[in-house]
Amino acid sequence: MSFIKRIRWGWLLAAAMLLSVRVAWAYPIAAPPKMHIMEGFLPLGWAVFWWVVALPFWVLGFIQVRKLIGERPELRLLLGLAGGFVFVLSALKIPSVTGSSSHPTGTGLGTILFGPFVVAILGTIALVFQAVLLAHGGISTLGANSMSMAISGPLVAYGLWLLLKGKIPTWLSVFLIAFVADLSTYIMTTTQLALAFPDPMGGFMASWLKFAGIFAVTQIPLAISEGILTVLIFNALQTNATIELKQLGLQEV
Amino acid sequence: MHIIDRYAYNNRIRNVEPAHKASLSLMVLLLCLMLNKPLVGLVAAGWMFLLAVGLAGIPARTFGRVLLAETTFLILTTIGVAFSISTRDPGSITDWAWQLGPFWFSSSPDSLYYGLVLVTRALGCASAMNFLALTTPLVDLVDLFRRWRVPPLLIDLMTVIYRFIFVLLESLDRMYMAQDSRLGYHSYRRGMISAGLLGSRLFIDAYQRSQRLQIALESRGYTSELRTLPSRYKDDRTVLWVSVAVAVSLLLVWAVGNWVIGNWIIV
Repeated sequence: MSFIKRIRWGWLLAAAMLLSVRVAWAYPIAAPPKMHIMEGFLPLGWAVFWWVVALPFWVLGFIQVRKLIGERPELRLLLGLAGGFVFVLSALKIPSVTGSSSHPTGTGLGTILFGPFVVAILGTIALVFQAVLLAHGGISTLGANSMSMAISGPLVAYGLWLLLKGKIPTWLSVFLIAFVADLSTYIMTTTQLALAFPDPMGGFMASWLKFAGIFAVTQIPLAISEGILTVLIFNALQTNATIELKQLGLQEV
Repeated sequence: MHIIDRYAYNNRIRNVEPAHKASLSLMVLLLCLMLNKPLVGLVAAGWMFLLAVGLAGIPARTFGRVLLAETTFLILTTIGVAFSISTRDPGSITDWAWQLGPFWFSSSPDSLYYGLVLVTRALGCASAMNFLALTTPLVDLVDLFRRWRVPPLLIDLMTVIYRFIFVLLESLDRMYMAQDSRLGYHSYRRGMISAGLLGSRLFIDAYQRSQRLQIALESRGYTSELRTLPSRYKDDRTVLWVSVAVAVSLLLVWAVGNWVIGNWIIV
């Protein structure tokens, strides 16, 4: 390949990358904020595996939501609005520690407000919508993505919430919950990628470190930012929305 | 998001039965995943592009843009698959290794081939789903889910969430603009405080809207389920015939790649 040709290819590649960045930033709502595994990226076996793993959680979440609505029918619309809120919150641009801006996942805040099982259902619906409305994530990878974003993150966050409640200041536990929920999404996705694509040299662990390194640049600053943001939102809610929080059953906070 | 939604409501096959469009997309998705060959993925992406542009009248640029939405993830992760990093000399496995300090970067024809499979498979699958997203509005999909016996509770949740995404997004845009025009995002600290206020206000907005909607619906006799008339669709089988053609061509491409040229070659 001649030198000129090489330069031409280089330009083409750079242009393609710039284009994708531009596409990402031109629409604040369409930026790829979260670590969703792309449609078709997982081999069939793993895609099916994560669907099967996620299924019991979906059923459990569905039963919980149905029970909740059976007891308090007026919550039906509130849950719909909560889903819209979690989805739209992920469209909010927040400044990130590295200087660029990023988007929160909203699962930490959602877990505090609505509980992990409700978030599992709402988060999975949000993932379906992201596939259909934003072309992010996908149907074949829905099981894997829902496991990492809507199930493992909220469950870990909820466990932490129960563990820490009353022992440390509320703001600190709110920060930790949002931070850990983000982080566990990141760790779970990394694990899923490493399981599906083990390294030919070092196997699962080498591959895990590789993917963890690739995404650490964006995901760790994002987790910190989201932690701070969630504390700020939560504080503002405590002063501005006492009545609404009470009706949600959060008065003990 | 608005772009996808706009074309979903306003394309030439908008009124075609959503089950046909969904089965075409799901079939291509499954075939790409099961056949698992670079050429199959490329042909599938080509088919979906042709159908979206030719049959549905989606501008080529829009289709390309939507397809490129996840390029960053695709590039980064494929690099991760195609290259390995280790502290040992990978000479026993591959000759393509470079040493950099204590680390060895290596690749091999096999991993590069696998990277190619991944990129083409993801492109084929993503273009199949994007075809569905760009030609079928969410209300039609929800209608389809209802016919597939998805529990009414989930259908209701989806309907309400879909509606309020746009309502809340409008609120969010207005509040963001008001804050931004008052220098609410001029520094990291200020931006965080503004975003926190915005998030909490948005929650209150969503909460109060849900209460008002509840009252409005109850006063109209709402007890359990949001009932709407099913949409009527055109009696048009084009998409079904096209699906058969797509399936046959994908299988042919796979068979040719497998038996005539042989497994070792890149296609």
